Amino acid sequence: MSEYNHPYKDVDFVIKEIVEFDSFCQNAGLADINSEFASVILTEAAKLGSDVIAPLNTSGDNQGASLKDNKVQQADGFKEAYQQYMENGWSSLTAEEEYGGQNLPNLFGTAINEIWQSSNLAFSLCPMLTQGAISAIKHHGSEELKNTWLPNMISGLWTGTMNLTEPDAGTDLAAIKTKAIPNADHYLISGQKIFITWGDHQMTENMVHLVLARLPDAPSGVKGISLFVVPKFLLDKEGNTTSQLNDAHCTALEHKLGIHASPTCSMSFGDNQGAVGYIVGEPHKGLSYMFTMMNHARQDVGLQGLGVSERSYQQALEFAKERIQGTHKDGSRFSIIKFPDVRRMLMQMKSSIEAMRALAYVASNETDKSRYAKNAQDKTKHFSRVELYTPIVKGWLTELAQEITYLGTQIHGGMGFIEETGSAQHYRDARILTIYEGTTGIQALDLVGRKTLFDKGEQLAELLNDIEMTAKELQQKPQFNNLAVSLENAITTGREARQWLLDNAQTDKSAAGSVSVNFMMMFGYICGAWLMAKAALKAQALLDSGEGERAFLQSKLVTTQFYFDHLLPRIKTNIAIIQSGSDSIMSLAEDQF
Amino acid sequence: MKILVTVKRVIDYNVKARVNADNTDVDLANTKMALNPFCEIAVEEAIRLKESGTATEVVVVSIGPKACQEQIRTSLALGADRGIHIETDSMPESLNVAKLLAKVVNAEQPGLIIMGKQAIDSDNNQTGQMLAALLDIPQGTFASKVELIGDKVHVTREVDGGLQTVALNIPAIVTTDLRLNEPRYASLPNIMKAKRKPLVVQTPADLGIELKTHSKLLKVEAPAERQAGIKVNSIEELIEKLKNEAKVI
Amino acid sequence: MAILIIAEHDNNILKAATLNAITAASQMGDELHLLVAGLDCNLVAQQASKIAGIKKVLIADSEAYQYQLAENMSKLVTDLASNYCHIVSPATTTGKNFMPRVAALLDVAQISDIVKVVSENTFSRPIYAGNAIATVESLDAIKVITVRGTAFDAAKQSDLSAPIEIITAVHDAQISEFVSEEVAVSERPELTAAKVIISGGRGMGNGENFTLLESVADKLGAAVGASRAAVDAGFVPNDMQVGQTGKIVAPDLYIAVGISGAIQHLAGMKDSKIIVAINKDEDAPIFQVADYGLVADLFEVLPQLTDKL
Repeated sequence: MSEYNHPYKDVDFVIKEIVEFDSFCQNAGLADINSEFASVILTEAAKLGSDVIAPLNTSGDNQGASLKDNKVQQADGFKEAYQQYMENGWSSLTAEEEYGGQNLPNLFGTAINEIWQSSNLAFSLCPMLTQGAISAIKHHGSEELKNTWLPNMISGLWTGTMNLTEPDAGTDLAAIKTKAIPNADHYLISGQKIFITWGDHQMTENMVHLVLARLPDAPSGVKGISLFVVPKFLLDKEGNTTSQLNDAHCTALEHKLGIHASPTCSMSFGDNQGAVGYIVGEPHKGLSYMFTMMNHARQDVGLQGLGVSERSYQQALEFAKERIQGTHKDGSRFSIIKFPDVRRMLMQMKSSIEAMRALAYVASNETDKSRYAKNAQDKTKHFSRVELYTPIVKGWLTELAQEITYLGTQIHGGMGFIEETGSAQHYRDARILTIYEGTTGIQALDLVGRKTLFDKGEQLAELLNDIEMTAKELQQKPQFNNLAVSLENAITTGREARQWLLDNAQTDKSAAGSVSVNFMMMFGYICGAWLMAKAALKAQALLDSGEGERAFLQSKLVTTQFYFDHLLPRIKTNIAIIQSGSDSIMSLAEDQF
Repeated sequence: MKILVTVKRVIDYNVKARVNADNTDVDLANTKMALNPFCEIAVEEAIRLKESGTATEVVVVSIGPKACQEQIRTSLALGADRGIHIETDSMPESLNVAKLLAKVVNAEQPGLIIMGKQAIDSDNNQTGQMLAALLDIPQGTFASKVELIGDKVHVTREVDGGLQTVALNIPAIVTTDLRLNEPRYASLPNIMKAKRKPLVVQTPADLGIELKTHSKLLKVEAPAERQAGIKVNSIEELIEKLKNEAKVI
Repeated sequence: MAILIIAEHDNNILKAATLNAITAASQMGDELHLLVAGLDCNLVAQQASKIAGIKKVLIADSEAYQYQLAENMSKLVTDLASNYCHIVSPATTTGKNFMPRVAALLDVAQISDIVKVVSENTFSRPIYAGNAIATVESLDAIKVITVRGTAFDAAKQSDLSAPIEIITAVHDAQISEFVSEEVAVSERPELTAAKVIISGGRGMGNGENFTLLESVADKLGAAVGASRAAVDAGFVPNDMQVGQTGKIVAPDLYIAVGISGAIQHLAGMKDSKIIVAINKDEDAPIFQVADYGLVADLFEVLPQLTDKL
């Protein structure tokens, strides 16, 4: 078992110096909210995370969730931990005040979700899915629907789930078969759903399933899917939970590689008379509603990549400092952190994590900037940036998480392969992250397709221009000359990739799909380099003025240099692969495999 | 009944203190600071007494530089009603703290004053007792249980041999031990509310107290590192070493 | 000027902590007076008079002092203080209770929990939970000091008896009263609270052999722990496990018996003040962290240890 300590120094630095949250708050006219207040809130959340939720990570993994008589029993301690999470009001963080929320910026949600995710990835999924369900009802539900369901979901009294996938409808949701038949003031839902995260548990008095289903008159394909609220227990006239179970239950739990304590349910709706459901918004628009939540959901999963990486790093670091496995000439022993290769691995973990956090928080704050924009033009500009960042945050962060949790285990040597050491759990838990909420391949396609080809690369060009501003700033400082050159080169490489895509996508139908993952990873590394360079500039400025903690700021300069030395050069490989196009990928006939 | 709770800003208990390079003090620059754990227990006890209807108001006071207001805000977020900050440049000595607090007590007239038994930085374990003496009121130190029975407060104290219960006239001072309660976590709505709870700032001069120097910190050193161990040859030798050298049995 | 030491006792027996405080006081000056305040505490005064270095014993015998309530004790000591340059007490819960009141009434600082006397006005004391040692100079005319017992040897007995002087003044503040007390029953302490822990590892061979550890533990008032290996082997239940995945402990004395010293075990006990390792494998890593190592067969030496304690 390992402890989790909130990395408050880096978190505070990113919020204050890289996101520049205080100037955002001023521009947005948010009184009383600033980076200092963020730090106060994060400190309190971190206590709950470290003391209550993190200690259940190992035991939850060992025990897992279990199914008996159609009821899912969550791992020991989870109910009590959830209770504290709820009583302390954390579920209401970013929700609207009208329904009992605290209406705090999206960035707070991100920084606090990082805490839950580092503490216990499996646990954190339950609140995360609830946030998704809240968001769907808030944006698309009728007033009546909102008043009925939101307050108790925002208070945490009820949790939410997202029921999309069916046995024959995964990435291709157009194939959904679940039916919804109108019946008086509601609908009767019947069908099977799979891979439903936290689809059932005994932690709360009720649950709210959001279910995609087809109406009898629905057109076929993606334009015929509607969204429904289906409670676990029916409500009475006053909107209180009754003891009457709805016709919806969990029929099986998946046996998974990781996140054992997060029950992944097969759900059956309408085995008997049909599950009572209430439509969200208008008929046939369910899938488009899902898309409005997609940015948030995908960025949240990207953040999980950061969360599990941080936990893996903390554990590996502690081990590297304590594991005595070297002998000096005089016979005295030393710990493995003195070995250069262990250093390399730790540095790679540390500098990757810092870049990942910077990107996740900057991307999250773009949602706030869009929300509080003073005019429509700014709103669109920031929203487009959210759209552009989303596949990078999801794809790049979760892919790096694979490598980081791999290194975390590698640093442990043989002990890393032993389950009770605990490092392997992070490695296993991380593995789902590149898969759910759209695989890496889907993220990469989104980036090259909807986010680049669709607007002829305009957003990407703007991003690269923004990065160039930082490169120019670097050039002003002699000590950052080498970083300036590297970042300039990276921008040039980014522009080459963009141009290659625009030039080749029309003539070669396989081009975009063939280069997409390298394209997405490349822009991840470039964004990371940009924000690390920003961090170095800020750290140096603080050092020059004598503010802040020297040791921390100096280490920021080193992690930036390491990032430029070890991670940024990967884009040279990416560009070479991109420019090789689709030939070698697509040439073999299927029979030749 | 009004309860006055004192809180101190100290190094976070998870952070290991390190002596600074010139051995003049512990290096606290940019160290994570927090509410002293014993003070947190004091705040919790006061809030519980309020929740049970025994107390009507919980006033929290802290002494030190401006940053102490963070710990007052934390206490307000836990459920205290209002805060008093007595602003000083550095952390005053215990006796000065007690004198400042005595002025606050005279102004506020609380029925109970709950304090941490000691701060985890200076480890003095004395301010509560000193305040009680200055006010000539009784004290229940190292409390593991506090009960109001009639017009007295009964305090069960953790003493070396076990537990001792004393009955104290009111007003009285209680200093907390670890087992008194388990402090709650601040809830998000209460953190939000705490921003708007009143907090007044005073100076020692406002209270008519001149801070005096009673002692001088000459140096601060790291404790001796664990010495490379020795091998003993027999049980007799082991017992002898444990008794006379290590003095642990 | 003389030094006044306040005796720790239960009206019958002078507590050992007093002897350590006397040794500390003897490093501040020569004229040592010992105050015994209690009820029917003449026996204590007799014992006190036979301690080497004590020049005079003061006895204050009254109901007001029966339980050494801080409100009354502090007034008594303050009343006597003008004749003394130092007032010293052991840093027991009794001393810690009334001494700061004495200091406040005298308008002086208290130097708490000293571990070293540098000079008559300069003392060292642990701060930050022992992570630093502060050296403090007192600027007050009267120095009020509490003493950490474990840092000083006990004062010796003397053949001579110091004179006993009776203090007649009775200070009863009448603002506090004793209600009851509950003396701790002598069960074995909790692992995390124990001052001494003796733990067994896989080398114990089986669960029955843990009785060998229990016999030692009973002599030392120690708690009994185990390594993960011993737990995994089914010797003992998991709640006895000391280590990264079990309980983290930091007692004054940790005795590791038949424990090799796996990193995960060390993580749970490396902050112990004194570590003793008993193992027949002289290369066992546990010896690298042990203050005292004994390479021996535990089945031979554990019974010896029980006998000789």
